Amino acid sequence: MTEVSIERLTMDYGVHRAVDGISLRIRNGEFISLLGPSGCGKTTTLKVIAGFEHASSGAIRFDGNDVMQVPAEKRDIGMVFQNYALFPHMTVAGNLAFGLEMRKLPKAEMQSRIAKVLEMVQLSSHADRYPNQLSGGQQQRVALARALVIEPKILLLDEPLANLDAKLREEMRVFIREIQRRVGITTVYVTHDQAEAMTMSDRVVVMFGGKIAQMGTPAEIYDQPASVEVAKFVGQVNLLRMKVEAITGDGGMDVSGPFGVIKVKSIEGAAPGRAVTVAVRPEAIDLVSPSEGQAATIASSYYSGSLMDYRARLADGTLIDVQTFPRQRFADGEAVGLSIPADRWWPLEVTA
Amino acid sequence: MSKTFFTIFCLLIYAFLLAPIVVVVLASFNSGAFLTFPPQGLSLRWYVVFFHNEVFWRAIKTSLWIAAVTTVISSIIGTMAAIYHVQFAGKLKETVRVAMMAPLLLPEVLTAIALLFFVYTIGIGTQTVLPLIIGHVLITLPFVFINVSASLESYDVSWTMAARSLGAGPFTRFWRIMLPLIKPGVIGGALFAFIISFDVFTISFMLKSVGMSTLPIQLYDYLRTNFTPEAAAVSSLSVFLTLLVVVVTEKFLGLKIHRF
Repeated sequence: MTEVSIERLTMDYGVHRAVDGISLRIRNGEFISLLGPSGCGKTTTLKVIAGFEHASSGAIRFDGNDVMQVPAEKRDIGMVFQNYALFPHMTVAGNLAFGLEMRKLPKAEMQSRIAKVLEMVQLSSHADRYPNQLSGGQQQRVALARALVIEPKILLLDEPLANLDAKLREEMRVFIREIQRRVGITTVYVTHDQAEAMTMSDRVVVMFGGKIAQMGTPAEIYDQPASVEVAKFVGQVNLLRMKVEAITGDGGMDVSGPFGVIKVKSIEGAAPGRAVTVAVRPEAIDLVSPSEGQAATIASSYYSGSLMDYRARLADGTLIDVQTFPRQRFADGEAVGLSIPADRWWPLEVTA
Repeated sequence: MSKTFFTIFCLLIYAFLLAPIVVVVLASFNSGAFLTFPPQGLSLRWYVVFFHNEVFWRAIKTSLWIAAVTTVISSIIGTMAAIYHVQFAGKLKETVRVAMMAPLLLPEVLTAIALLFFVYTIGIGTQTVLPLIIGHVLITLPFVFINVSASLESYDVSWTMAARSLGAGPFTRFWRIMLPLIKPGVIGGALFAFIISFDVFTISFMLKSVGMSTLPIQLYDYLRTNFTPEAAAVSSLSVFLTLLVVVVTEKFLGLKIHRF
């Protein structure tokens, strides 16, 4: 049970600043994802927490104790690598025993711990296999077991599912999350896959260019993105340019655009006459009859089994992406109405 | 068609390479008084002569222990150099490689003369066995280096990181993780070092102390004045010894330890 706090962490590689003054508190038992495109500094941050890289400045504390000067092998972390990094010359049991041998545990306790963890990852019958005799998913579970069997203070995962195929990846998301809940270990998970971050995390930290762009619960990140960049990175989004008509007293503002005048939350820098970018997610839009919503015609449609993606054209030519369940189908060119609940509009930034 | 041609081509190359060795071995069973081929009748006569020749035995013993010492030193230095080269050299990687391969690129006689100047300049001289060992280590280093480097190229640094995260210090990481995983390269390199040290002539000839003889030097001395099949018997033993080293290492230390 460990609380991790990162304070103004900066990491320079020569002239390149990989991590730029990030601060973050990870609560006891919390599952945090560092989400961002490659090169955003998420993996570097993880490596600094693990102790594999030395930060240029800033501090990292485990339960209040500064660990910056503690070498990786003494930090008591469990780490799962993207390529699993299982020792190929040791059996599954040997891999699991390695960390326990470093801790000089008695043989009997080692064996009971290994048995317990192997059962947890459902690989009890594979203890004597070598890594190359296991499938990708099994290797992944061994890697997780090896990190957990030492009962570390924190668990660090570096894109652990990136090498698995799509179906297995989805199963493993749930699997890892369930084990993390059961063990109750503070966890930092690095990924570039927004769906992974959303489904698994208590909180998501979105990073761009070495800085934290936003942190919050998956719902906050998705429904109330802090910037256009975040909104685009965590899923599909319609971005509409609107004009501020009035700032209302209750912290909101009236904006006008292709959907007429709507009321949204007021944002910094907004004033009557300024242009703002307003976001709405494709699945927030319902397709109704033309008389009931904003009139549009279906420009194109894509069927993906469980979901239906439409592109609708408004009278002024604006294209809007709409995602619905394919219970009711609309043909290309069909006239429809777009209905958007008032609270699903989200203002992002003042552009002019 | 082209595959058959290629097979025949390879067989011819092997025949060309191995024929002299086969000839020497066959000649060693000669019952005649002179080194001729084909042998004039079969006998172990010259082996008996050789087994009673103390000069050769002393030379073999010298060669063996020099090769052993050389192998140990060369394997340690070569492995360390290879680790630096593959994992830490960064921009210097190519430079380090060329420097380490230099003894292989320079003519051996040049290296030998340079070493001779060197040992006298720094005052070691050639009164002891030290310069000889320095010379042997120098020319066997590239073989250890190249073999270990090749093994290290397929070594994943995340294994080291994983061991670190599990609490292993630098020493444990090397002994328990890296060394077992690059073992084929280290053993292969050590084998090369041993065989080459056992076999090398020029370097030994220049750097040996007075009165000392390794097997190749003793053979050379012998062949200057004698031309009996005893020389073939000695050479054959050296061939058998080399084969034995390779087979034993393969069998007991296992070159195929990698489980991928």
